[in-house]
Amino acid sequence: MTSKDVKEALGKFTRRQLMELDTCAHCALCTEHCPVYAETEEPGHAPGVRSSKAVKLYDKQHGLRARILGPRPVTDEDVEDLSDSAFNCTFCGRCMEVCPFGFQTHELWSKVREVVHDLDGTPRNVEMLEGMLDESKNPYGLDPDSRLDWADFTDLDEIPEKEEAEVAYFVGCTTAFKGANHEVAFATASILNTLNEDWTLLGEDEWCCGSPLLLAGDEHSAKEYARHNVEVLESRGVKRLITGCSGCYRVFKWEYPKLLGHELKFEVLHTLEYILEKLESGDLKPEKTDERVIYHDPCELSRLGGLIAEPRKVLACLADDWVEFAEHGIDVRCCGGGGLLQASNNEARLAIVKKRLDEAKLLGAEVITSACPSCKLTFMDGAREHGVEIEVLDLVELVAKQLDIL
Amino acid sequence: MNGALSALYSFFVTKLPYVTIAVFLLGVAYRLQRWLSAPKDPKGQPLHWPSALKYAVLDVVLFRKTYKTDKPMWLVLVLFHVGTGGILFGHMRGFHLWSASMFEVLGHGFAEFMVHTLPVYMGWMFLATQVYLLYRRVRLEGRQLQSLANDYGALVILLITSILGQGMRIFPPEAIPPETYSVVFIPGFIVLHLEKVPSHHWFFWHVLFTQLLVMYLPWSKLVHAISGVATSALYGSRRRKYDL
Repeated sequence: MTSKDVKEALGKFTRRQLMELDTCAHCALCTEHCPVYAETEEPGHAPGVRSSKAVKLYDKQHGLRARILGPRPVTDEDVEDLSDSAFNCTFCGRCMEVCPFGFQTHELWSKVREVVHDLDGTPRNVEMLEGMLDESKNPYGLDPDSRLDWADFTDLDEIPEKEEAEVAYFVGCTTAFKGANHEVAFATASILNTLNEDWTLLGEDEWCCGSPLLLAGDEHSAKEYARHNVEVLESRGVKRLITGCSGCYRVFKWEYPKLLGHELKFEVLHTLEYILEKLESGDLKPEKTDERVIYHDPCELSRLGGLIAEPRKVLACLADDWVEFAEHGIDVRCCGGGGLLQASNNEARLAIVKKRLDEAKLLGAEVITSACPSCKLTFMDGAREHGVEIEVLDLVELVAKQLDIL
Repeated sequence: MNGALSALYSFFVTKLPYVTIAVFLLGVAYRLQRWLSAPKDPKGQPLHWPSALKYAVLDVVLFRKTYKTDKPMWLVLVLFHVGTGGILFGHMRGFHLWSASMFEVLGHGFAEFMVHTLPVYMGWMFLATQVYLLYRRVRLEGRQLQSLANDYGALVILLITSILGQGMRIFPPEAIPPETYSVVFIPGFIVLHLEKVPSHHWFFWHVLFTQLLVMYLPWSKLVHAISGVATSALYGSRRRKYDL
């Protein structure tokens, strides 16, 4: 890598991000609220320390001294150090909510990962994931043919793949390829069929939404995925896209317009928004469960996606006895399943989720529910790892269950 | 006072202010150039003024987030910033931007309290909060935070300036010629009118460190006084955009 490349990579911080890095007083008020730091207690994993490391590297190439005396070299150790900090983050955005200056940290850390990516510092596991995406358009490296395998294990009569439809169900890779989430797809398809909705799947034409690429710092490739998915959806005349994955939802709703430089021609809804609409119109009439349910806000859906009230309104139609975590809504503590932490530090991920599971048990919850396949997997892995007995269900599964169609 | 020291003190008052202003302006220009030369945010969000204003007030003026997460620290921050504002305001009287008579409508006793008693307590409070902030930074260093030199720089210069300022209140005024009651930094522009003349030494070193602080301001983390308002306003706009 030439010194010009290094300078260019570090020069990617935008005006707002540079202002944020310069403003960060390294006050550590965010530190104890960071789910990763809270478990690892590694100084480098604290958000404020990440900010120090980033601005130090920036100044090596672009600071006042660099302008007068010339840039100082960025060493492999520097990049490794920044990479370790950048990838030990769940991208939950909680530091934004506690930062006294309101830095939009999820975007800042995303840029830090982009810089690390450009400086060839991406951890090997994450790099492998990028390779798998390149080959098979999903982060699990599985054959695109198997994207609809989930349907084979269900008793659904009709799995539509239409040329044109009003509604498209974007299943998402973690739902389509991870067995533990197949019932979420089944539940969604069943609800759509129950409602006689004019809907379609994209089948093999569905590519990863690009979220893992953005999380790996590869914005350039993510754009290609965005373009492909939008073209496929528009060519099928889709008016409404629904997805049950909070990562896909956030990327479609908030990142695609920025990546593509224009608004989308179709509406993006999380499955729960769609279900709420049908519950309010009386088209869906679920029975209520007697079990005590607790709802965990997926970070990408709540703080980073803007949907906090909707899942609760749905849950209120499903259970009378539902409880909240102390840290919920905009202040939710991440389950550990975000930010590709599973690839970079699975040990930390499993330690983080324990806190949530323990609190759920303490609150007497029999069912823990969320609205994100990654959260579901993390809760299931965590419950298995730590021997916590609790039923883990996606909220869409709970809806289908209470409608007696699952 | 010996001649060399006298010349030095004279330099602090008559020459250094020009350097201070020049370094300050250079710093502002550097900071603006640094930010403006960075690429524009392609993911820019339009500023939604009502939300921007709301969160600038809630987060920058009232420290809403710190109140939510760390109440003792919130108290320290409030006292520190109230101290900063109060002391800046108090100094304005010396530059004839306001006078004690402003408070006379509320009674002579109140005016006396505002211009003579309160500043003393505020000075101690201000000092105490700075010492705590410095202690906290040292305590958490390497464990929860990684300070840059300018994180300490700003705090240390401010602390020294405040100690020297408070020192002027403790040490008795000296009998000196009346012409020194008006300290002319820049004729016709920056003139300090003293009511009581403090100790020469404490006063002139205070003058030096105040100017160092002003020079350092745009180069240091103290830019947060301006940029922190901007980032909070952008955060407010984001909340509006995401309907949060």
